[in-house]
Amino acid sequence: MTDASLQAPTLLLKPDAARASRLRSFRLKDNVFRHLTRASAVAVLGILSGVILALVIGSWLALSTFGIDFLTTESWNPVTEKFGALAPIYGTVVTSLIAMLIAVPVGLGIAIFLTELCPPVLRRPIGVAIELLAGIPSIIYGIWGLFVFAPFLQATLQPALISTFGSVPILSTVFAGPPYGIGILTAGLILAIMVLPFVTSVSRDVFETVPAVLKEAAYGVGCTRWEVIRRIVIPYTRVGLVGGVMLGLGRALGETMAVTFVIGNAHRISGSILAPGTTISASIANEFTEAVGELYTSSLIALGLILFIITFIVLAIARLMLLRLERQQGA
Amino acid sequence: MSLMAPIDHSASRPRYMRRRRLNFVMMSLSLAAAAFGLLWLLAILSTLVFKGVGGLSLDVFTQSTPPPGSQGGLLNAIVGSAIMTAIGVAVGTPIGILAGTYMAEYGRHNRLTTTVRFINDILLSAPSIVIGLFVYEVVVIQMGNFSALAGALALAILVVPVVVRTTEDMLNLVPNQLREAASALGLPRAVVIQRIAYRAARAGMITGVLLAIARVSGETAPLLFTALNNQFWSSDLNAPMASLPVVIFQFALSPYTDWQQLAWTGALLITLAVLTLSIAARILAAGSRK
Amino acid sequence: MTSTDVARAAMIAPVPARSAAQPKVHVGAGQAEKITIRDLKFFYGDSLALKGIDLPIYERKVTAFIGPSGCGKSTLLRVLNRMYDLYPKQRAEGEVLLDGIDILSPKLDLNLLRSRVGMVFQKPTPFPMSIYDNIAFGVRLYETISKSELDGRVEAALRRAALWNEVKDKLDASGLSLSGGQQQRLCIARSIAVRPEVILLDEPCSALDPISTAKIEELIDELKADYTIAIVTHNMQQASRTSEYTAFMYLGELVEFGETEQIFMSPHDRRTQDYITGRFG
Repeated sequence: MTDASLQAPTLLLKPDAARASRLRSFRLKDNVFRHLTRASAVAVLGILSGVILALVIGSWLALSTFGIDFLTTESWNPVTEKFGALAPIYGTVVTSLIAMLIAVPVGLGIAIFLTELCPPVLRRPIGVAIELLAGIPSIIYGIWGLFVFAPFLQATLQPALISTFGSVPILSTVFAGPPYGIGILTAGLILAIMVLPFVTSVSRDVFETVPAVLKEAAYGVGCTRWEVIRRIVIPYTRVGLVGGVMLGLGRALGETMAVTFVIGNAHRISGSILAPGTTISASIANEFTEAVGELYTSSLIALGLILFIITFIVLAIARLMLLRLERQQGA
Repeated sequence: MSLMAPIDHSASRPRYMRRRRLNFVMMSLSLAAAAFGLLWLLAILSTLVFKGVGGLSLDVFTQSTPPPGSQGGLLNAIVGSAIMTAIGVAVGTPIGILAGTYMAEYGRHNRLTTTVRFINDILLSAPSIVIGLFVYEVVVIQMGNFSALAGALALAILVVPVVVRTTEDMLNLVPNQLREAASALGLPRAVVIQRIAYRAARAGMITGVLLAIARVSGETAPLLFTALNNQFWSSDLNAPMASLPVVIFQFALSPYTDWQQLAWTGALLITLAVLTLSIAARILAAGSRK
Repeated sequence: MTSTDVARAAMIAPVPARSAAQPKVHVGAGQAEKITIRDLKFFYGDSLALKGIDLPIYERKVTAFIGPSGCGKSTLLRVLNRMYDLYPKQRAEGEVLLDGIDILSPKLDLNLLRSRVGMVFQKPTPFPMSIYDNIAFGVRLYETISKSELDGRVEAALRRAALWNEVKDKLDASGLSLSGGQQQRLCIARSIAVRPEVILLDEPCSALDPISTAKIEELIDELKADYTIAIVTHNMQQASRTSEYTAFMYLGELVEFGETEQIFMSPHDRRTQDYITGRFG
């Protein structure tokens, strides 16, 4: 049942003219496509260097005018054109710390719940719900924070804090009134809610890398769940957890809209975390389009550069940590 | 180590009870944490529905943003968001797919790939407001005015890392056997990738694009000083353009209650859109895994 | 077989002096050599997986490669269509002549080579497209032919692979909807549709049930009228049933090559005998 149409036309590796031209066009297309993909990969690097370069150029005027003082000056005065980044840096760091202080334990708790405690039926729905929380645009957190959360805090948590710690030294300054509703604490709390899903989902993923046999062995010698988590799961995943937390911190540091609504936008450093303040991203968002004069604009771009450098370092550390966990797993 | 201690039931009973109690406390705390987390999701969504639904009417979709005190809708903002998101995705997706293709197909394990992956992961979480500053410097200043094009470009830059990541991951899941089988027919590498590998990874790659759309359609910060805002209907790419998030930002912070109402309605719309997209992406991804 | 198997095998036995390992090739003259392999060495990174192979593959005959896991038989097969070129750090040295042309030459067009030397893999690998397109895909790429001609080619290929009767009513169905044995025959049909001269079969039946295996073996028997076939197999019965010539490989070396009957009935080398009688491997 030999079929002529399936017989090779020539038995040599020398192609006929039609085939040769096909092969030439293949080679051309192959080369074009290969270089196109490579160029795109390089473009990703280009974006990063472009961002850094543009920020450095844009902030040059401010940096050369104020020098290192830019980092240590609190005053931010568009009228006298005296600009210092200390207040926004302070606000950025403090709000992010508050956020992490809350989001890390709660996020870990949820991750523990999801991996160890949750009935399998609920595991997926709750996991998905938490991840959806991560997908909600930050402006939604902002508007909700301004209209719902801040008034709520103003009426409940803030007066309680003021009256509770009013007579305690140091803490009375940290929680000095009046309860504005908006301010550093509120921004930190909103950030905590925003960052929570990131911390949760990374920790959960990281927890799931623990080999089942390891946990089973521990249960086998009579460990309680908590002991398994405390002695096996957390030590095993420590590097990854730090990575996850840093990833969340990176998000918190750079977050703009959720904070801008509720921070109060005041360029000063107050001892009280109930007082209004500002963050780097909130300052840029609030003032950039209204900034008059090159120096003002340049100072805001310099703020952006500082923010980018801080988050870059934090995120880079986070990625390196997570990479280490991956290697550990692969080995 | 306490874990290894032999269990003598009579002697260790109090100790055992203590361990049980600690376990109970910690497990209750983790349950409380989960309830706490879900509580916020519920609180935010219910507020949105509660405050947003009241303002929903046909006007929202047929009229442009009004001056304070008069009737209006969000038409210009919705269309603006759609235009800029569409351009951003149209520009960012091909770059992202091509870069992801290089990493998974041509340069697997090589140095460029490792570097790009690292940088891409950082860009994935980099502050979006900084991207806005970048585009301001590069486009707005050079062109001399705020424009929809600049806004779309800022969004495109945010699309790239999301698409790069999913494309690389999904192509890495395509079995090498399939590539070998295609190559064994004498198909050139580009054809193997475009016609076989892409097809096998299609669902995952579409998921990535959906996630990217979900991400940028809610972005506010990078639009603030690129596309700016526009009170009126405009489809001119070279002029400022309204977008839903920026209008929400402006209206929510205004002292006018009718503007605030529109902000809530806009917030509801945007959240619904984003949630729908992420759920669709998830279903697609789950379906393709079977 | 994975590359690590090969690497491991290569590491167990240190490279012997070349002259000591000269394999014995016992074949009558007068056969046309489609492929001639001369002193072929293959490297995965630094480890040597093939330690100098000399071997003819005769035209329109079935040549079987047998040997324990990691002996290099799949590696050898993957040299014949330069499949290893897809991976960095893998390289071949020596000479492999196809109709007298050295296919290891860097100037060779790989796409052309592979369109002449087809390959079917261990696991069936249908493309994620319809049955028809699975076969038409490769053809369309190389030849500009009319729709009716293409239909004819698809049908001929499917008939040749003994699959036509089972799929003629569902050519638009996905290739993935077929059973494992049908998928494998689809892959064979796909590779003969582009009109190769040589077909490489890399353990084509190891993932199939006995009935499908019997069908594929029958098919091999029919195909050798037109094609030169090289088959790697773990299954000694399969080698003896399907092939005219058999090569026994061990630890990256060709131990013995000859007519299948001779290899199985009266092997010259002790190791060959041990292997085919099941004493190791």
